[in-house]
Amino acid sequence: MAQTIIRIKTGLMKEYYRDFSKYAKGRLPEKKVAWVTAFTPVEILEALGISYYYPESYAAVIAASEKEQELLEESDRNGLCSDCCSYSGCFNGCLDLEEGPRGVPPKPDVLIATNNQCNTLPVWWNVLASRYKVPLIVLDYPGEASDTKASLEYVTLQHKELISRMEELSGNRLDLSKLEELTENSRRSVEAWNKVISYLPVKDIKATTLFDDINFLITARCRPETAELYEMMAEETEKLDAADKEKIPLFWLGYPLWYHNDRYLSECLSDFRIAGANYITWWSLDYSGDDVFERLYNAYDRTFLNLKQSSRDRRLSELIKASGAAGAVVLHNKSCKCDFVSARNVALPQVELDIDMIDRRYLDVERAKERIALLKETVCTG
Amino acid sequence: MKILSFSGFVPEQICDTVRFTQYTGDRNISHYCGYASDFISRVLKDDSIDGAVYPRTCDSTRIISSYLSDSGKFHFGISIPPAGAVGADAFLASSFREYKEALEKHFDISIGDDVIRDRAEKIDRRNACIRKLCEERESHSFADHLGAIHGLLEKPLSDREVLPVIRKCDASDRKVFVIGSFLSNIKIAGHIDEAGLTVVGDSLPESGRLASVRPVKPSGDIFLDIARSMLSMRLSPTQDSFRQIMETDMEEIGRSSAKGVIYITQKYCEPYDYLYSIYKDAAAALGVPVLRLQLNDTEDDRKVSLALEAFADTL
Repeated sequence: MAQTIIRIKTGLMKEYYRDFSKYAKGRLPEKKVAWVTAFTPVEILEALGISYYYPESYAAVIAASEKEQELLEESDRNGLCSDCCSYSGCFNGCLDLEEGPRGVPPKPDVLIATNNQCNTLPVWWNVLASRYKVPLIVLDYPGEASDTKASLEYVTLQHKELISRMEELSGNRLDLSKLEELTENSRRSVEAWNKVISYLPVKDIKATTLFDDINFLITARCRPETAELYEMMAEETEKLDAADKEKIPLFWLGYPLWYHNDRYLSECLSDFRIAGANYITWWSLDYSGDDVFERLYNAYDRTFLNLKQSSRDRRLSELIKASGAAGAVVLHNKSCKCDFVSARNVALPQVELDIDMIDRRYLDVERAKERIALLKETVCTG
Repeated sequence: MKILSFSGFVPEQICDTVRFTQYTGDRNISHYCGYASDFISRVLKDDSIDGAVYPRTCDSTRIISSYLSDSGKFHFGISIPPAGAVGADAFLASSFREYKEALEKHFDISIGDDVIRDRAEKIDRRNACIRKLCEERESHSFADHLGAIHGLLEKPLSDREVLPVIRKCDASDRKVFVIGSFLSNIKIAGHIDEAGLTVVGDSLPESGRLASVRPVKPSGDIFLDIARSMLSMRLSPTQDSFRQIMETDMEEIGRSSAKGVIYITQKYCEPYDYLYSIYKDAAAALGVPVLRLQLNDTEDDRKVSLALEAFADTL
C-alpha cells in the first residue's frame, strides 16, 4: 500500500507541475489555464477541462526550497512593499525574475480570486491581472454574517456566471452530472482527509506529514485519486504506534512555517508533540446541500475564515478539545491578519509568536525558545 | 443613538451616523491599518458611542466584528460586492435591509421607508454641495476644501445642504492629484498647502469619490435604489477593479495637467499597498512622479511636511 500511496502522490504532483517552465521547456499547455486562490470552486474548472494553478501554494514551495529571500527583495524593489502578504511578494518575485524551484507556472488565460479567506487575495490578483492583461473574475462570498437566503442566491448567480464565462473560454459545455461527480469526489476527499487527521492526537504522526499532505486537498480535491490516496493514508495511519504520552500535547494555531524543514518549530518543541492544528482543517469543506449549487455554496461561502467569530471560537474549541492539547502555540502572522484574530478567545495556556509563514526573518528563534519554556512551566505546574 | 461609521459605503439614508475621523488614546491593536484599529479603540473606549457600522471590504475591516463582538454595543458589518459582480445591486440592497432591521431590533425603533426616502433626498442635495466644492477645488486651499467637507459630514443631516463659504486663494503651477483613503488628519491637507502645491483633483472617499455618486433614483424599492446609487460611485481599491481605477485616475491626471501625485496610505492598508505597486508605474508612464505618504494612525503627520516640501521642489 505504501508504494501505491507514493505512486498516487507522484502522479498528482507530476501532472500538476508538467506545464511549469522547468518541465515544459517551451511547450505550450494543451488546456486553457486559470490561476486561482486556494478556496476557488475548482470543480467548475475541472468539469470544463481548464487547468488551474495556485500561486499561494507555489510560494510555499519556493520558501520550502529556501529561495524566498531574493524573490521577496525583488518584488519589494518593484513596488510590492514588505507589509504585503509574503505569498504575493514571493510569487511576484518569482515572476519578476522568472526563477523558481520548478520554474514559473504556465501563463494564465484567466485569473480567478475569491474573498472567502481574506480580502488581500483579490487585490493581489488585480496586480497579476495588470501584468498579464487577462480577464479577472472576483467571486464574492459574503460569509456567515450575511443573510443565508440572499447570499445563496447571490453566490449561485456568480457560480452560474463563472460557468458561462469558462464555457466561453474553454469552448466546452458544462455537463451538470460531471460537476456533480466532481463535487462528490471533493466530498469524499474531505471525508477521507478528516479520517487521516483524526489520528493526530492519538498516533505517532509528525505534524510535518499533515502540513505537507494537505496539499492534495488544496490542489486536487475533486480528483478521484485524492480520495483514494487519503483513504489509504488513513488505513496506514491507523496502524502506527500510539502517540508518546510522555510528551505534552500541543495545539498549533496558525500556518505551517513553510521555510522550516519540519514546517513547525521542532527545535523548540522537543518536550511537546503536536496533537492538533487548525490549518489542517481549513479545507475540510462542507459539501452538503440539496443540489450541486447549494453544495458549492456551503463549501465555499462557509470557509473557516468566512465564519463569524462566535462560530470560529466554537470550531476551535471543538478541535482543541478533540486534540487533548494542554497548551497552544498561537502564531501572529504578518501575512494573515484574518487568521490571527481567530485565536483571540482560545482558553488554553498559550505562547504567542510573531512570525511570517514565508519570510523567515520575522521569527526570533531564541525568543521563541524562551517563551515556549515558559509555556512548558505553566502547563506542567498548572 | 450615536453610531460611529467607518466609510462611504455606509448607507446614511437609513439612519444618522457619525463619520469616524480620529482617535486619541492608548493604541494596543497592531498589524491592522491605523484607521481600522483606531476605529475599534474609539468604539470600545468612548462611552458616548452606542454602536458601529462598517463595511467588510478589506482584511482590517473583516476583523472589526471580532473585536466588537463582546462590547455589548450595536455593530454591523456590510458586505460590499466587488465592482461588476453579477447580482451585486440586489445583494447590497438585501444587506442594507438587514442593517435597517438590525438597528430596529437593537434600539427598539422603527425606520419607515418614507423616512429613508426623505433622508435620501437630503443626502443627494448634500452630495451636490460636495460636487460643487470639488468643481471649485483649484481655487481653494486643500485644507479649507477638506475642512468644509468634513464640517458638512459632521453636521445633522438637515444642516448639510448649505454650501459652506470658503475663502479663495491663488492656484500655483505645481498641480497635484491626491489619492488615498479617508483623510482623517486634516493637518496633512494643510501641509500640502504649505508646500505650495495646488490640488487639482482627488479620489478621496469624502471628496472626489463622494462627489461622483449618482443621486438615488426612486424605482419602488428604496434599498435597491440606494444600492445602485452607492455602486455608481467612483471605485475604491477594495472593490477589486484596479483597471477601472487606473483608467479613471490616469485620465483625470492627464486632463487636469497634474504634475505630481500624492498617494496617501495608512500602514497595513493592503488595497492601497497593492494598488500602489502598479499605480506608480502608470503615473510614471505619463511623466508624473508619485509621492507616497504612509501614515501610522489617524493622528500621524510626522515627516509629512519635509517629504512634501522635497516633492514640491522636484515639480
